[in-house]
Amino acid sequence: MEEKLHNRHALVLSKEYPQANFTWIISLIISVIFLVNSFSFTTGEMNSLVFAMFIAYLATTFLQLFITRRMKRDLLDTGAIQKKTRRLGYVQLLSLVSGNVFAAAAAFNLINERKTPEYTFAVYMFLTQLFVIAISAMNMFKPYVTDTFLVSMAVLLVITVFHAAVLIAVAKLVRETDAPRSMAMIAVFVLLTAVTGNLFALLLGWSLLLKSISNDHSRILKWHVMWEKITRNSMAVFGLFFIILMLAISVTSRFTFDYDFAVENDYGNILQTPSLAYPFGTDNFGRDVFSRIVFGARISLLVGFASTAIPVVVGGFLGGIAGYYSIRTDNVIMRLLDVLYAIPGILLAIAIIAAFGANTTNLIIALSVGSIPTYARTMRANVLMVSNYDFVDSARALGTSDLSIIFKQVVPNSLAPMIVKSTLTIGGAVIATSSLSYLGLGVEPHIPEWGNILRVGSTYLESHSYLAVFPGLAIILLVLSFNFLGDGLRDALDPRLD
Amino acid sequence: MKVSVFAILKRTFEEAHGKSMYRFLLYMTGVPLHLLVYLFYLLKRKDDTYEATMADVEQELAHEGRRVIYFEAFEEQLLCKAAFFQEKLSNEEIHRQAEKLVDERFKEEVMLRTEGRHGVRKVTYYTYFLSLLERPMFLIASLVPGVFMYVLLLLISNPFLKYIMERLVQSVFVIIGVGILVFSILYISPFDPASNILGESATQEQIAAFNQIHGLDLPYLQQLWNALKGIATFDLGSSFAGSEDVASSIANKFPITFTIAMFSVLMAIVIAIPVGIFSATRPNSFLDTTFMFIALIGLSIPNFWQGLIFILNFSIKLNWLPATYSPGNALSMIMPVIVLGTGLTASIARMMRSSLLEIIHEDYIITARAKGLTKSQMLWKHAVGNAMIPVITVIGLMFGGMLGGAAVTEKVFNIKGIGSYIVDKQFIPDIPAIMGGVVYIAITISLVNLLIDILYAFLDPRIRSKMKQS
Repeated sequence: MEEKLHNRHALVLSKEYPQANFTWIISLIISVIFLVNSFSFTTGEMNSLVFAMFIAYLATTFLQLFITRRMKRDLLDTGAIQKKTRRLGYVQLLSLVSGNVFAAAAAFNLINERKTPEYTFAVYMFLTQLFVIAISAMNMFKPYVTDTFLVSMAVLLVITVFHAAVLIAVAKLVRETDAPRSMAMIAVFVLLTAVTGNLFALLLGWSLLLKSISNDHSRILKWHVMWEKITRNSMAVFGLFFIILMLAISVTSRFTFDYDFAVENDYGNILQTPSLAYPFGTDNFGRDVFSRIVFGARISLLVGFASTAIPVVVGGFLGGIAGYYSIRTDNVIMRLLDVLYAIPGILLAIAIIAAFGANTTNLIIALSVGSIPTYARTMRANVLMVSNYDFVDSARALGTSDLSIIFKQVVPNSLAPMIVKSTLTIGGAVIATSSLSYLGLGVEPHIPEWGNILRVGSTYLESHSYLAVFPGLAIILLVLSFNFLGDGLRDALDPRLD
Repeated sequence: MKVSVFAILKRTFEEAHGKSMYRFLLYMTGVPLHLLVYLFYLLKRKDDTYEATMADVEQELAHEGRRVIYFEAFEEQLLCKAAFFQEKLSNEEIHRQAEKLVDERFKEEVMLRTEGRHGVRKVTYYTYFLSLLERPMFLIASLVPGVFMYVLLLLISNPFLKYIMERLVQSVFVIIGVGILVFSILYISPFDPASNILGESATQEQIAAFNQIHGLDLPYLQQLWNALKGIATFDLGSSFAGSEDVASSIANKFPITFTIAMFSVLMAIVIAIPVGIFSATRPNSFLDTTFMFIALIGLSIPNFWQGLIFILNFSIKLNWLPATYSPGNALSMIMPVIVLGTGLTASIARMMRSSLLEIIHEDYIITARAKGLTKSQMLWKHAVGNAMIPVITVIGLMFGGMLGGAAVTEKVFNIKGIGSYIVDKQFIPDIPAIMGGVVYIAITISLVNLLIDILYAFLDPRIRSKMKQS
């Protein structure tokens, strides 16, 4: 009886089991979407490629369902997942061929019993690299490729092989709190590969360096516990994965994609339906929508990050001063910010753009100004709380200057809510960017930006709806990723949940 | 009864006098009264004994050698302090600091002794006026010159009224600030509306005439004053292009946006609150995860894309609903309302869940369970009401965002509302139209938030008690 109870606990506490459950559900949903889209109701035609995808995803779903069942049985019978079941993960790795990142991640998670944040980083670093190569490889179906295509693909492949090797090494050698000294050399090379935009390499490299070189045990433990919490939330990691994938694509697309396909008019190929050469079709000027979306990621990320970073700094500074200094300073700053707060962000942005014209710089400024007050309020509340703590009092009693107290004691201790908030609002900034572009008030119309692509697509809604559907999906995926990551960070960083 | 009125007046005057803002207001509103009373005060002060007594006491104390005693004590303290903190202070520095402390201490002692020994109090204008306020005859006599001040006093004697008044004044300042900000942004714009409207071929005279008609040749402050006055009097003049009356076009378009926004809020509340409560009572269950997943997707969908997909599916493919909005047709309102309300629904559901989850783990809920309440009794009697408080704040804040964000939805469904009006006017830029649209929306939002704050003051006992304490 007691053992049964114990095993039930094992089921609940298992890291793999909930993810396995989630994986088969999401695979099933995606396969149903493929099924619905493989058949055109108006013409009665079957799209064999989409149908093949459906079959592949359905197969993955059944395999995953089978694995999930075995995991449940193992856990209930013995309290641990058996080696045999874990080996099924190698079979499930085949789902990578169909691009099912959920199943692949679950498989990697299943294969390795010892889970360190480094293993998760390594897995997603490898997956990001694979996806970058897969997306870039779509260019091979184009009539021609850019000059640097072959070289950069070769470099990417070499890096991928290296990443695979690192993944195996990490799985075998890295433990909870330390790593062999020899890993430091590898870590430096891993850090170097982060220039491709694959920030998982940056995380992994840093983490490995820390564990192999540093003797500061508490620092390692702090880092480990924080990432352990974040990586336990698989949705947050998927969010991070998609954001980093977009970033890596933005960086590598400079060398693997031809910008001409995205901006040059090609009147011989107007409004083509999706095909291998044009995966998302072409628009009314014959421009390849797939390339446009890939290049659009750059703008969305740039505007999203910039229009979050500026108000974080400005609002954080104002809020910090208001919270730390006297009531009078506080009142003056906060009442002035109340004025900004009373105007809805989009309207203020429209007014600013109306005054100074529509371009990317003005867009960033317009979006930044509107969100200064929210960050100032968050920072002020944190600073008010933190500056009442004993360690601040003791710093003051030791005669530390105000500036030093603010930057050394107060700010570092009130950053966590700001980070969470900014992650959650980058998504909002991405939506606002595309909304304003859709209204013709954002990025200049000739630049490939997701809102601009949608704006063109919306005029062909009746005849060529894919023009509006794909950029919209890209926006949703990116925003959703930021929201998932933000939720994950909040759960991990919120001290109340400790 | 009458006596209590005097007591209230006196107490309120005392309290309000302590805050510089209110002190200023009290003297400003009662200028005629205070002038009169001050004259009497100057006449009466002549036979005051306080100053004389104080001088006596001061001499006595100086005679006793108090200063030297104080000085020695303070010097020793300062030396000890410097030694402890290992600070190197020069002798002069210590002397200077000690002298300062001695002065303060001596003055204190003098005042204390004067009041203690002779029972005389220092008469200031303030104490003189307070003593007058106690007399019924004075009140009746001063009612005419001081009526504004008494109204103010009565207003701030009640914490509720005081709170409402403060919030109102604050809102008025915010609205004026919004007006100044938006006008200034448009004023420093590098664009020239005159040449945008008249075309490139316009002559200097035509441009000058245009600028004169619309008052664009006036100095900044004059234009700003006109704009603010226009907003307050609902007379914004005519728009640059098409010369329509801006105030009346805004008055025509605003109700459309407002109705759609209100229906969206209603929809959001009706759907999100039950979902939030359901999710919070079964945390991490399958349905909870699904609901929250859907809510997160709802937060991540751009309005315009959702609108386009709705039009594509429900209007073009299925032909169920009209693709564009027409004022009389209720069916055409369904899609805009859902699209505008999706984000709000998702936020409220998430907020409701987290707020209720937090409350369910509070100690008093455990007490409620311990005293034998069933789960549903505990939930409905103790938890939901308290969990609603932050949710209502979020609704108020999001409502503003919805009015602002309505521009996008209105463009998608071709609704002639205030949002699309502003967007249409911004290409010129049509300063009165943009300014009027933005500022009136900001006013509406401020009023809604003001209303919510006042509602709180009545409903939430914690805020009530905090108000009374302050």
